[in-house]
Amino acid sequence: MLSSAYDLSFYEFDEENDPKQYGVLLCDVIHGKPPMKPLYIGLGWYWYYHGIRYGAETACLPTSHGWDSRFINGYPYITAIKTTEEERQAREPLFRERIKPFIEDFDGVWSSFKQELMSMYKEAKESRGLKEWEDIRKLSNIDLLTFFLDFAYIINRKEGEVHFIMLMASYYISGLFQQMWQDIFGVEAAVDPNFNKIMAGFESQAIAVVRGLWTLGRRAVELGLRKAFDTEDNEEVIKNLGKSAAGSQWLKEYKEFLLEHGWRCERMHAYDTPAWVEKLSLAIGNIKMLMAEEVFPFDARIRRVIEERKRTTEEVLAKIPEGQKEAFEISMQAAQKSGYWSEDHTYYCDFYIGALGRWIITEFGRRFAEAGCIDAPEDIHFLHPNEIRKAAIPMGRINLRPYVERRKKEWERNLTIEPKPYYGDISQAQSVLKSDPTLAVSTQIPIVREELKADLYGAASAPGLAEGKARVITSVDNLSELEPGEILVAPGTSAPWTVSFNIISGLISDGGGALSHPVIMAREYGIPCVAGCVEGTTKIKTGQRVRVDGDRGVAYILDR
Amino acid sequence: MPERYIYWLEELGQEFSPLVGKKCANLGEIARIRLPCPPGFAISVEAYEYFMNETGALQEIKDYLVQFKDGLKTIDQFDEASREIRRIVEGKALPEKLRGEIISCYNDLCEKCEVTEVPVSTRSAGPVSHPGQYETYLNVKGKSELLEKVKKVWSSTFNPRSLSFRTQKGLSLESDPIGVAVVKMVNARTAGVLFTADPNTGDTSKMIIEANWGLGESVVGGEVIPDSYVLDKESLEVVKKTLGQKTRHVCFSETGVTEEETPTDKCSTFCLSDEEIKEIGKLGKILEKHFSAPQDVEWAVDENLPFPQCIILLQSRPVVISSRKSPVDQVVDYMLRQF
Repeated sequence: MLSSAYDLSFYEFDEENDPKQYGVLLCDVIHGKPPMKPLYIGLGWYWYYHGIRYGAETACLPTSHGWDSRFINGYPYITAIKTTEEERQAREPLFRERIKPFIEDFDGVWSSFKQELMSMYKEAKESRGLKEWEDIRKLSNIDLLTFFLDFAYIINRKEGEVHFIMLMASYYISGLFQQMWQDIFGVEAAVDPNFNKIMAGFESQAIAVVRGLWTLGRRAVELGLRKAFDTEDNEEVIKNLGKSAAGSQWLKEYKEFLLEHGWRCERMHAYDTPAWVEKLSLAIGNIKMLMAEEVFPFDARIRRVIEERKRTTEEVLAKIPEGQKEAFEISMQAAQKSGYWSEDHTYYCDFYIGALGRWIITEFGRRFAEAGCIDAPEDIHFLHPNEIRKAAIPMGRINLRPYVERRKKEWERNLTIEPKPYYGDISQAQSVLKSDPTLAVSTQIPIVREELKADLYGAASAPGLAEGKARVITSVDNLSELEPGEILVAPGTSAPWTVSFNIISGLISDGGGALSHPVIMAREYGIPCVAGCVEGTTKIKTGQRVRVDGDRGVAYILDR
Repeated sequence: MPERYIYWLEELGQEFSPLVGKKCANLGEIARIRLPCPPGFAISVEAYEYFMNETGALQEIKDYLVQFKDGLKTIDQFDEASREIRRIVEGKALPEKLRGEIISCYNDLCEKCEVTEVPVSTRSAGPVSHPGQYETYLNVKGKSELLEKVKKVWSSTFNPRSLSFRTQKGLSLESDPIGVAVVKMVNARTAGVLFTADPNTGDTSKMIIEANWGLGESVVGGEVIPDSYVLDKESLEVVKKTLGQKTRHVCFSETGVTEEETPTDKCSTFCLSDEEIKEIGKLGKILEKHFSAPQDVEWAVDENLPFPQCIILLQSRPVVISSRKSPVDQVVDYMLRQF
């Protein structure tokens, strides 16, 4: 039986044939929970799935055509489209050629893509005379529609393609280096402290943005505005600042900063949460958290992290047999850059494209609601891109409520459903993951070592030991509950969580592999971390004392 | 019992490798896509098995090997066992059905080539390749000579190096079924090899040709320094030419072949013309595309034919890239083994 997915027929799940054909389909809980709304599935996620195929076919991955995906109860399930043996043989020589530039100069390839994306976004805004968030209101319906169509079919598509060709290369390179590591040293790289030390000490754009917020915080202190931040309510902070000349000056600088770096929504991979540039109070919490620090916490640690990387690199290289040394070094350098890319790209890809999408869509939501096509602006998230196009011109002639109602009801039902972790035969998961290592972006399996008698086993880690009070936080909205020195226990962390790394002493996350945000950021900040242990947030309660052993990738609950 | 033990090359293709061995299957593939290669036929792997069973040779070998219950160990033991087993194998007459088929095909080949006793090469063709392990006989003429040589190729699966290889790999000593390629000899003025990618660096934008006067054996065997040419794969232009010493070459004798000194004037002359180089490169590109991987190609220039018909392909197999590759290529190799 086919199960419908908000009328997005191409993502329907065939219960009988799909598991047979693919062996197993794994739930992408990392990106798909809470369930995405139909418009995001049909637009942002649509191009990501396209990007994955595009990346796999452009790189000519020998064993995979990219992912196939299905939506079941609103949750995404993924699997690899394996190649046949014949295809593998034909693709190998092409893959060899296409992957080489990334191994030789990963950063060079990424830099030019980065520039391409940024100038595309800039051009999209400037050519329409748009700068600030409110400017979009000035566009006529037809101009708004063409902006939407450019976004939907050109800008988003390009972003998806760049994003995933880079991701493919990044995963193949990083996966390769981990495998090399294991072959040479006989230990899993992802939980080896030496491996983590070698991968650390590269500043990504994610950190650069947090540094910018810290600088703004220090500027506020310098201008004697500290008191204005002394309230829980961040909206109140903005109001307080507006009352004084110094405060208004600071707000002006803050706004300039956001106009450049605030193109990011509160939640990634959704259009239904506000962007920093849209709602000024959003980044205030981050600034509050940082403004007491006289030195940017990252800078305090980075020198040690880099020194340790250099020393460990020398020690490790001394152990590599002569014939393999050059290849090892090249692979290492490419892997370091792949790891750094994992953090760097979010700014240029997920964040920027998400905020642009929200910008246009929110405005359409407002206009549709005003014209009586839908009940409330937020109902736009239950439409499909093509329905928006059809109803936009002339505005107000089409009743979109029947589309919204049905899908909204289904989405609300999906919210209450706990997704099945997989469909099909789970014993085939390893072979599916092996044929397409990029699937590890969305899935991971803990490395259980019973001899360590731990409470939680991670899939990856960042080195060091930390003991302290656990703080379980399941949504980025509650990040302000954190107190300095606590150990953060989270379902996973993504770029919006970055700020917390400045104050926590350790991290335990349910999701995440060696290239995941928690592991990379913890490494950069020199914070012990165990990621991918699946049950952290269910086993640990706030207030319990926990020990994070990042050297071995396990965690212990000390009192129960 | 199979219907027949022999196949014409043009009836074959890559997928026949288990039936007739890789070399025959690949030659068949070349013939099938209508690239120039010499006429000939393949004696199947089953023919070897049939011969060994039917004549009782296999049983005799098994009985003989019983005495080495701890396996063969010393060089002397390998030599002794090889001598004895080859005596057993070569002492057997071919079963009538096989003998009839081989003779009939040879007759047909002679007729096709319009020669009474067409000279052929007999080479081993294993379903998995064992380069340099088994024996090859060149310039074989006449039916009885051919039958003898086929048997000798089979019995070469018991030469000391094959026995030691199988011992090392823990494989059974008592037989190693192979096919035999029987192919018309090319009257080669010049011959050699072509790599459609640089085997030393893995560079796939270049092709390398190595060539010497006479038959290709001198180049393949590596005994002389051949002429070498580097071609740009895209344009087929020669980007580098290096004159080799080419002090000796292999040529036909009355039966079989012999190695001779090369006259000094020929040593100091390139043995291929530019148009021949291009033509070889062109064929190599077609092979690479067809097999979807860089190829190691054996070719010869037939003295009796006009250009471009004179360029004949003798073998094609995937290039083995040496470990002296660039580190980046080594990294990619590693990657391809992993994923």
